[in-house]
Amino acid sequence: MIQTKAHVVKRESERGHVILTLKAAALAMRLGPGQPILVRPGPGLDPYLPRTFHPLSIQDDLLSIRIPPDADRGHAWLRARSVGETLDCLGPVGRGFRIAAQARRLLCLGEGEWAWTLLSLVEKAVAQGVAVTLAVEATSATRAIPAQRLPLAVEYRLATVDGSRGRRGRISTLLPELLSWADAVAAAGTMAFYQTLAAAIEEQRLLLRHGYAQALYPSTFFCGVGACQTCARDVAGGRRRVCLRGPVFDLADIV
Amino acid sequence: MLDLAPNNKRGLVLHSPIMVGSGGAGNGDCWPSGLTPDMFAAVVTHPVTLRPRRGSEPPRLAELPAGFLLNTGDHNPGFRRLLDQHRTQWRRLGVPLIISLAEGAPGDRAWMAERLEEEPVVAGIELPVREDVNLGELSAAIAAVRRVTTLPLLVKLPSTRAAHLAKACVVAGADALVIGGPPPAVYPASGQALLEGVLGGPIALPFTLRALEKVAALALDAALIASGGIQRRQDVALCLNMGATAVQVRSLLWTDPAAARALAQWGQDPIE
Repeated sequence: MIQTKAHVVKRESERGHVILTLKAAALAMRLGPGQPILVRPGPGLDPYLPRTFHPLSIQDDLLSIRIPPDADRGHAWLRARSVGETLDCLGPVGRGFRIAAQARRLLCLGEGEWAWTLLSLVEKAVAQGVAVTLAVEATSATRAIPAQRLPLAVEYRLATVDGSRGRRGRISTLLPELLSWADAVAAAGTMAFYQTLAAAIEEQRLLLRHGYAQALYPSTFFCGVGACQTCARDVAGGRRRVCLRGPVFDLADIV
Repeated sequence: MLDLAPNNKRGLVLHSPIMVGSGGAGNGDCWPSGLTPDMFAAVVTHPVTLRPRRGSEPPRLAELPAGFLLNTGDHNPGFRRLLDQHRTQWRRLGVPLIISLAEGAPGDRAWMAERLEEEPVVAGIELPVREDVNLGELSAAIAAVRRVTTLPLLVKLPSTRAAHLAKACVVAGADALVIGGPPPAVYPASGQALLEGVLGGPIALPFTLRALEKVAALALDAALIASGGIQRRQDVALCLNMGATAVQVRSLLWTDPAAARALAQWGQDPIE
């Protein structure tokens, strides 16, 4: 983990969210898909806790973060940053997604806002020549990842709860077909989503084996180095600090 | 050089007044970016109990204006495992290591303290004291530890009752007083249920200063160490001017390691 000043080089608004592209060569070089960064949400001591972001994209010396339009004071301060300003960042935190050398067909599964955390993995996998299907569950089409954000080579499957685009209902209806295609799975969502996914894998493949599916543990972080103990959860057979053992785990270790 | 335990035959000599407070670097094994043990005067571990503790269920953290509430429930691997896992790494620490012994069953802390006598890597013991402790119970607990160890004994008092408890601690054998354990409070954690924990971050400083002022006025024969909310040079200077011999920093290491490094380097300048 390093601490660095990241320069805001681009600012976009998208449906209330603000996407900041940051120039931070040393951080981008170390960062991998699924590894969050911690950003100070103000110039002083209030707000005090860093905000956790999973970069949408990591390319060369650039990375981008997506700030939600919520009531959080720290997020409000970050949304107000403009090009030319700097942000104080710490990262990367923990272990990210790994693309196994033998993986040829990667299924990325995202639930709601967590789906955005898979974008950097999608980009990396496509660049490595892996066939990628991204399947996302969103409440409505307006909350889903726009298709134009994805590399052309990616197959995009969408399920919307209100039926405004793609398959109506939950992503679980797509799983049998998608799981039979994939030889590796990467998921980002809630723990309930992971339970559903694990059950679908067991139904499709009889067994949830280690090494088949990875999942991003839904957590925010404080210190990111294991000192504060705020992210300790029951995973991988014991109570462990997610920032050290994760935040990406084998799915079999967290369900 | 500073000595936190001048009346103890072992002494506890520090090269600067800036210590890492309890768990700030985990058990001396979790160093944030750009920080190394030698930058600090001493390192205090997380509080450890005789048997492992799973700690609190999540959430353990709630954000407050200018600070946070934290409740880890003394999550730790247990005394034996802590020593087994960290002994080798502690030998390379290069600065005094202070083991924090959390309260457990009666006699646990004395038992652990006695074992630490045989650990050459340990330079001192810190005893955190809960807020609702009774004076007689506290005196007896400190005296029990004092009887079995010659190691410098730091007693971490709750800031809200520090002045009330301080003299009894020194009489019972404390070499130094850590002022103080931040006050407990309750606040919603991320819109969820109320979290009960202790204050941390800049919001804790006024409680520390009040307690420090009151304890310093007692002019006890023990070094005072300020702890809680210390973030900036002026905070350190204020605490030292108010009678502290040293200070402990913790969450600054987590939120801004560069600022913690700058503070530690500033602390290594001659302080006379």
